[in-house]
Amino acid sequence: MRKEQISDKEAIILIMMFIIGTTLIVGTGGNAKNDAWISGILATFSFIPLLLIFSRLLSLFPGKDLFDIFSMVFGKVPGKILSAIYIWYSFHLGGLVLRNFGEFVNVVAFPETPLFIPMLCLGIVCIAAVYLGIEVMSRTTAIFVPLIISIVFVVLILGIPQLRMDYIQPILGNGFTTILVGAFSTFSFPMAETVIFLCIFTSLQTKKSPKRVYIWGTFIAASMIIIITIRNIAVLGNLAGNFYFPSYVAASRIRVGNFIQGVEVTVSFVFILGVFVKCTVCLLAACKGIAKVFNLKDYRSIVVQTGLLMIYFSYTVYYTIIEMNYWINKIYPYYAFPMQVIIPVITWIIAEIKKSRQPLTNK
Amino acid sequence: MIIFVIIGYTFLVIFSFIPLYKKKLWSDFWVNSILGVLSFTIAVLISFNVKIPSPAKPIANLITSIFGK
Repeated sequence: MRKEQISDKEAIILIMMFIIGTTLIVGTGGNAKNDAWISGILATFSFIPLLLIFSRLLSLFPGKDLFDIFSMVFGKVPGKILSAIYIWYSFHLGGLVLRNFGEFVNVVAFPETPLFIPMLCLGIVCIAAVYLGIEVMSRTTAIFVPLIISIVFVVLILGIPQLRMDYIQPILGNGFTTILVGAFSTFSFPMAETVIFLCIFTSLQTKKSPKRVYIWGTFIAASMIIIITIRNIAVLGNLAGNFYFPSYVAASRIRVGNFIQGVEVTVSFVFILGVFVKCTVCLLAACKGIAKVFNLKDYRSIVVQTGLLMIYFSYTVYYTIIEMNYWINKIYPYYAFPMQVIIPVITWIIAEIKKSRQPLTNK
Repeated sequence: MIIFVIIGYTFLVIFSFIPLYKKKLWSDFWVNSILGVLSFTIAVLISFNVKIPSPAKPIANLITSIFGK
């Protein structure tokens, strides 16, 4: 079969959309109230070492994904167990993202439609995208991204009359601990989820590109998130953490004259595309992992069933939106920490040791 | 509802399982059919409005027992 390859630009766009995808709507650092933007900055800085570790792992083993790296570093059976953990994690994450989308549509647009219908529709689109492969996915995203960025900035500019910068004061009013807690949740919710990309970036061009891709993608996405967070706080004040979808509420405040109203629809367009990218990446990672563990010829033969399972999972995972919000804010950062930080760091250390010993044994 | 589920899965069997069987890709076929049986079961249960246990509650209990609220 032909080898798939994506350019650096497309990969940067993919990472950017993955990070800003759900975060633009759900919002970050809700615990930190009006200091959420500081926790965003802190989270970005604390993500930098992890980002270097991820890109180093990718460039140590060019053309290999995380599941190959596990079996090369830890041996066959432990590698399969670790792969199973990551398959579960990406499957679960995709389900959660899909559920987010379903709740958003249910709360905001179609309250009478059963929750299952919007999730099924988006899930089928994701299945189709994964079936077509990462090239098609990244190019589709690359077509839509200029539209997304322009929408975000136009909404930002239109919202300027609503800003009240005094809502940002007092800075550090709630103490430093709340900011750290918010930073931890921001760190684990959009930033460190990019560990999923270790499973699918087998098709980058050169050895140096992972670093470039990770740094630029994270930088652009983080700056957008921080700007949007400041906007939300300046429009909504202390309430920003209390809404399920703060960006949507902030955009719905926009009124320019009597004719520019209802701008929030554009925000939901951004959200739908972000969810599409995120869910597709997760599904692709899960399918590739299953194909690697069971030595399948191609991951495409199991895409449909895995995608359908993901849709059903996302339907049954929570009973209410309150439970979902509690889970995202309180449980998820701790639950995801081993997969996001501990296992990659251990893998990286052992891989570096093995790589540095290898030339000696060859001589 | 159950009618839709059965029709949908019939199409899936025709268009995804039978080609794999004909190409004699056995491991692909078996993994796919196990996943397919699982997802068909869950789809039938959902269509009968059965409450399927979710992993969210046990994970939440585990995390709160370790780290506190």
